[in-house]
Amino acid sequence: MAANTSIAQPFDFAAEQIHTKQRGLWAQAWQRLRRNRLAFAAAILLTVITVVAVLGNTTDFVQRHDPKEQNYTDAHGQDNIDREPSGTNWLGTDGLGRDMWARTLQGTLFSLKIGFGAETVVVAIGISLGMLAAFGGKVTDNIVTWVTDFGYAFPDLLMIILFRQVIFGRDWPIIGTGDPQIPGVPSVLIATILAISFVSWVTICRLVRGQMLSIKESDYVLAARAIGASPWRVVRSHMLPNTLSTVIVAITFGIPTRIFAEASLAFIGLGVPPPSASLGSLISDGYAHLQSNNLLVIWPAIMVASLMLCFTFLGDGLRDALDPRTKR
Amino acid sequence: MLAYTIRRVLLIIPLLLAVATLTFFLMHSVKGGPFDSDRPLSAATTQRLNERYGLDGSLIDQYRLYITNLAQFDLGISFSNDRPVRDIIAEHFPISAQLGFCTFAFAVVFGLTLGTIAAFNQNGIGDYVGVFFATVGAALPSFILAPLLVITFVLRFHWFDIIGWELGNYHKMVLPIVALGLLPMSFIARITRASMLDVLRQDYVRTARAKGLRERTVVMRHAAKNAMIPVLTVLGPILAGLITGSFIIERAFVIPGLGQEFVRSVLIRDYGVIMGLTLFYAMVIAMMNVIVDLLYAVADPRIRY
Repeated sequence: MAANTSIAQPFDFAAEQIHTKQRGLWAQAWQRLRRNRLAFAAAILLTVITVVAVLGNTTDFVQRHDPKEQNYTDAHGQDNIDREPSGTNWLGTDGLGRDMWARTLQGTLFSLKIGFGAETVVVAIGISLGMLAAFGGKVTDNIVTWVTDFGYAFPDLLMIILFRQVIFGRDWPIIGTGDPQIPGVPSVLIATILAISFVSWVTICRLVRGQMLSIKESDYVLAARAIGASPWRVVRSHMLPNTLSTVIVAITFGIPTRIFAEASLAFIGLGVPPPSASLGSLISDGYAHLQSNNLLVIWPAIMVASLMLCFTFLGDGLRDALDPRTKR
Repeated sequence: MLAYTIRRVLLIIPLLLAVATLTFFLMHSVKGGPFDSDRPLSAATTQRLNERYGLDGSLIDQYRLYITNLAQFDLGISFSNDRPVRDIIAEHFPISAQLGFCTFAFAVVFGLTLGTIAAFNQNGIGDYVGVFFATVGAALPSFILAPLLVITFVLRFHWFDIIGWELGNYHKMVLPIVALGLLPMSFIARITRASMLDVLRQDYVRTARAKGLRERTVVMRHAAKNAMIPVLTVLGPILAGLITGSFIIERAFVIPGLGQEFVRSVLIRDYGVIMGLTLFYAMVIAMMNVIVDLLYAVADPRIRY
């Protein structure tokens, strides 16, 4: 009897494993962001601006003139005031013979420092108080909610101006002109950052509180508690990561808002004192000389507008990318 | 509804008290003041100035005096030119109010129109034009918009005036209103578009169309009213934005409004005016918010107070 060659073999489940690449939340978000051309272009442009602004203040290759240097005459003995853009002064010169390219880069760097610095403080305060409101007692929650409601209704710039008066009107330890100072960080920068952060945290505080309150009731938090996770572990590894996407989007929209706040202050004459310059104070200076040389306004204005647009597009893109419900 | 209105109006009082207390202690924690100059004043002069402006005595005494004055609607006095803050408000607020009201009307009318056009031409040319304006409006803050408008329309085309404000004179009105109003306009347009798109998909709009109503009636009577409700919620923040925006625009176009006056008092550290005007702004905003909340109830019958 011939052996039956077609004996049924046991099905090999191991070989049939489907080899799909497992992609986590962040990998998926990254892919969705890359597919959004506008947001991705905005991210690239922002990186370029930041890198050029940082390099500009350290390398001569990017920035060939000192922003403070006043050249009334150029190398050929020609008048060098309010010049059109040229090979030596890429964006022209201002009324004191200063190079506009160097000044714009200096202003951009200062504004970026304000944006990122103030947003860091804002996020730190906002998340802490938001969590305090969500997990603290009824009284804490009421107080925080009342303060945030009040701060939300009150004009930001008005509060910033008031608080700026307080900070600038006194010698503070560490941040003020007194000793000790944080080495390498100008006190003007810290004072401005603190003034801007003073009231701006309310938005993120509200967001975090709302998210935390809704997540607290969710099934996976209940499950984590049921298997005996400590409260701290529940917050750290289950609740915080789930608020993260909201916070990231809020940060992306927050940075241009801080830049905007500082520039508004500078425009009405409450900015950083010269020789330091921000984009807002450049626009403010240029506005006074609009009739003689309107390029002084146009360069910093283009820079502010590109920063605003880039952060807006990037924020929109991130919001779509980080939302797991948008599948595509 | 009446009880609710009264309660809301009365709730403004503790709010104003909180603002007054906060600004009082903030401003009194500042070292230096309007009497500081390059040449130090003699002790006798400083003493007399402090007495004159109620700055002698302990902080608690000063606070008590300040609150007592407030209770009698006395907002304080300027430390730099002796004018009562009430007079300053009476002189400069009407101009700011005109600017604010015109800008508000501009933002609402054009925002609603653009948003509605965009919603009805979803993904069409009208939509792209609307979205383009909304994006540009959001990305161009007023302190950029003002110089750009001046360069284009004043220095190049000579269409408008660069300085001043005069109600009814469009040479002086157009640029400040556009510069101040483009941001809230784009904000309103975005919200109108979103909520209009939402409303147009509702069953009651289909019903209205199905029973053969003209498109205009469908839009005006059935869709627009409901699409307005989300727009109403952002009017509060927009009004607050107009006040801070006026600081910038009044400086850019040299308009003698209250915003200019506030910035001036900050620059010369005139704490009397700073405190008085902050409190006044707080009162204006609080009352506006009450009105917006009441409008909300009028527009949305589901809301009962």
